[in-house]
Amino acid sequence: MSTPLAILGIFGDAIDFIFNAREARTGGAEVGGLGEFASLTGKHLLVTVAAVGLASLVALPLGLYLGHKRRGGFLAVSVSNVGRAVPSLVLIALFIAFLGVGFANVALALALLAIPPILTNAYVGVTQVDRDVIDAAVGQGLTDGQVMRQIELPLALPLIFGGLRTSVVNVIATATIAPIAGVVTLGDPIISQSVYGDAGKLAAAIVVALLAVVAEVGLGAAQRAVTPAPLRGTPGATRRGRFFVKTAGKGLSTS
Amino acid sequence: MSTPDQTPSGAAAAASPASAASPDRAPAQLEFVDVVKRYPGASAATIESLSLDVPAGEILVLVGPSGCGKTTVMRMVNRMIEPSGGQILIDGEPNTTRPAAELRRDIGYVIQQTGLFPHRTIAENVATVPKLLGWPKARIADRTAELLELVGLDPEFAGRYPAQLSGGQRQRVGVARALAVDPPLMLMDEPFGAIDPITRERLQNEFLRLQETLKRTIVFVTHDIDEAIKMGDRIAVMRPGGHLAQYATPAELLLSPADEFVEQFVGADRALKRLALGRVRDLRLEETVRVRYGDPTAWVREQLRTSQVPYPLVVDADGRPLAWLDDDDLRGERVVEGVGSAVATVERDDILRDAFSDVLAHRVQFAAVVDGHGAVIGILSSDAVARELAPGPAPVEPVEAGAGPGTGS
Repeated sequence: MSTPLAILGIFGDAIDFIFNAREARTGGAEVGGLGEFASLTGKHLLVTVAAVGLASLVALPLGLYLGHKRRGGFLAVSVSNVGRAVPSLVLIALFIAFLGVGFANVALALALLAIPPILTNAYVGVTQVDRDVIDAAVGQGLTDGQVMRQIELPLALPLIFGGLRTSVVNVIATATIAPIAGVVTLGDPIISQSVYGDAGKLAAAIVVALLAVVAEVGLGAAQRAVTPAPLRGTPGATRRGRFFVKTAGKGLSTS
Repeated sequence: MSTPDQTPSGAAAAASPASAASPDRAPAQLEFVDVVKRYPGASAATIESLSLDVPAGEILVLVGPSGCGKTTVMRMVNRMIEPSGGQILIDGEPNTTRPAAELRRDIGYVIQQTGLFPHRTIAENVATVPKLLGWPKARIADRTAELLELVGLDPEFAGRYPAQLSGGQRQRVGVARALAVDPPLMLMDEPFGAIDPITRERLQNEFLRLQETLKRTIVFVTHDIDEAIKMGDRIAVMRPGGHLAQYATPAELLLSPADEFVEQFVGADRALKRLALGRVRDLRLEETVRVRYGDPTAWVREQLRTSQVPYPLVVDADGRPLAWLDDDDLRGERVVEGVGSAVATVERDDILRDAFSDVLAHRVQFAAVVDGHGAVIGILSSDAVARELAPGPAPVEPVEAGAGPGTGS
C-alpha cells in the first residue's frame, strides 16, 4: 500500500483495492483491481439502464395519459405508495422464487421498483399544468394528441426528469442485491465479504455511492436543461436549491 | 378623458390598412335553435331551450349572475361543451358537421386567464392557429408582426415569454392569438375580467375601435352589466337556471326591461346608464351670447334677452371658451379681464355620461361643446341631457308663470 493512502486507514485500503488486484481471502484467485471493478460497474450500469428503461416504457406513457385524462390519480398515487412500502429485497426474492435467477429477472424486479416515481411524477407533472392553458389549447383547435405532445409534455418535463432521477438513484443503490439472483454487479464484493474482505466491501460501496452521486448530479443538470427557459426562475437560486437541499435529501433516503 | 386613449387610437388607426391587407373573411352569422344542455343526473337543465339569432358582424353579450349558464352557452358554440339538444348554426351550417378541432381553428377563443402557453414566446403563442393550419413560415412571421401592432404591442415583445408581461399585455396577446386567422366568429369569456379597472376600460375602448374595422361576429360573456352595455350590440340577459330573460339592444334593455329580474339586474340607475350609450353629437346643441373681455356690459345684457342660455360665454380670439359670466360680473361698465367661472368643455364624440358628469362638476350647468381646435360650436345643457333620458316625446314648451321674458335669467 502506498504511503499517502495509508493515512486514510481502512478507506485507503479500500481505494487501493479498486486500483490494485490482490489475492482473495479464501486464497487462489485474484480479486479487486481496475479490471474487475470496470466489469462490475459495467454490469451494474447495464442492469440499471435496462430496469429504468423498462420502467419508463411502461410508466411514462401511462402517467402522461392518466394525467391528460385527469383520471386514475388514485392509481398513480397508490402505485407509488405500494412501491415505497415493498422492500426491494422481497421483490427480488419473490422473483427468484417464481421466475428463477438471471439478468432479465433482476431487471424486471428493479423495473418494478423504478416505476412508482416515474409514474407518479409524470402524472403529477401533467396534472399540474394550468387548466386554463389546456382549455385555451383545446379552444384554439389543438387535438388531444397535440395537447399532450405540444403542451403537457414540455410543461411536465421538469417533473418527469425528477422522477427519472429518483428512480435511477434508487435502482443504482438497489442493484447491489442483484448478485443473490445471479447477476454479478457491484453488490458482489459487498455480499461476498468472505472472498473480497472488508476492503473489497468498502471499495464497492464507495463506487456505488459515486455512481449514485454522478447520476443525481447529471440528471439534475439534464432536468434543468429540459425545463423551458421561462419556467426556470433565477438560475442561481435554482442551482443552489437543487444541489444542497434535494441532493442531500435524496442521498439520505436512498442509502 | 380622451387623453389616455390617444396612443392606442393611433396604433389602431395605423394598423387598419395592415389589417385590410390580410385575407378578408366575412363575419359569420350565428344562430342558436332550441339549444338545451342537461347534465346526466342533474334535476334541472343547465340551459333551457335557448333560441337566439346573432347578425353577422355584431357583438352578442351574454350577461347574468354566476350560475346562469352564460359560459356554457358560449362554450357550446365551439363545442367545448356539447349540447344535449337543439342546434347551433354558423352561417346556416350546424357546428357539428366538421370535426371539433377543425371547427375551433376557425373560431377565435379568448378566456379571462388568457391561457397563454408559458413555454412559448409571445410570437409563438400568437402563431398557434396559423401553425396548426400549416401556413408557410414567412406568412406566419408577417401575420404575427401585424397582429402585435394591431393590438398595440411593441414588436420587441415577440421574443418574450408570457411570464414577463403584465396582465393587460397578456390579454392583448390573447386577443392577438384569437385574431390570428381573422376568424369569422370569436368567443370571449370575460376577457377583461381579471384586469385593473383603468387598463380594462382602455382595453375595452381599443377593442371596440378594432371591432369597428374588423367587424367580427363576437360572443362576449360577462357578469358586469356596465361592460355588457358598453360592448354589446345585442345583450342576452340570462337568469339562473339557464333561462333567457331578455334579448335586446342595450338601449331597449335599459328603457324597457322585460321583467323584474332584468330590471333589478340592470340596476336602479338604468336611466343614468343610458347616458353611456349616447354621445354629445346626438343632442341638439343650444346657443349663447359669445363675448370678449372688454365688451360693454350693456351690450351683453341686451344680447342676452334673445339667448337660449342665460349666461354669456367669454371666448378668446380663436373662439375658445374662457369663462361663464353671471349677473355680478356684469355690474361694471365693461367686462373685466379675468372675471367669470370655469367652463366645462366637451367634444362632440364624448359619451354623454362623461359629458354630463363634467357639467355637474361645474358651477354653471352648461358645457361648451368644442371642435377639434377647441373652438366653441355650441352649448350642451343639463336640461338637454335630461330630456334625452326621458321616455317619450318631451313637452314642447314648459308652462311659465306670468309673462316673463322668453329666456329666464
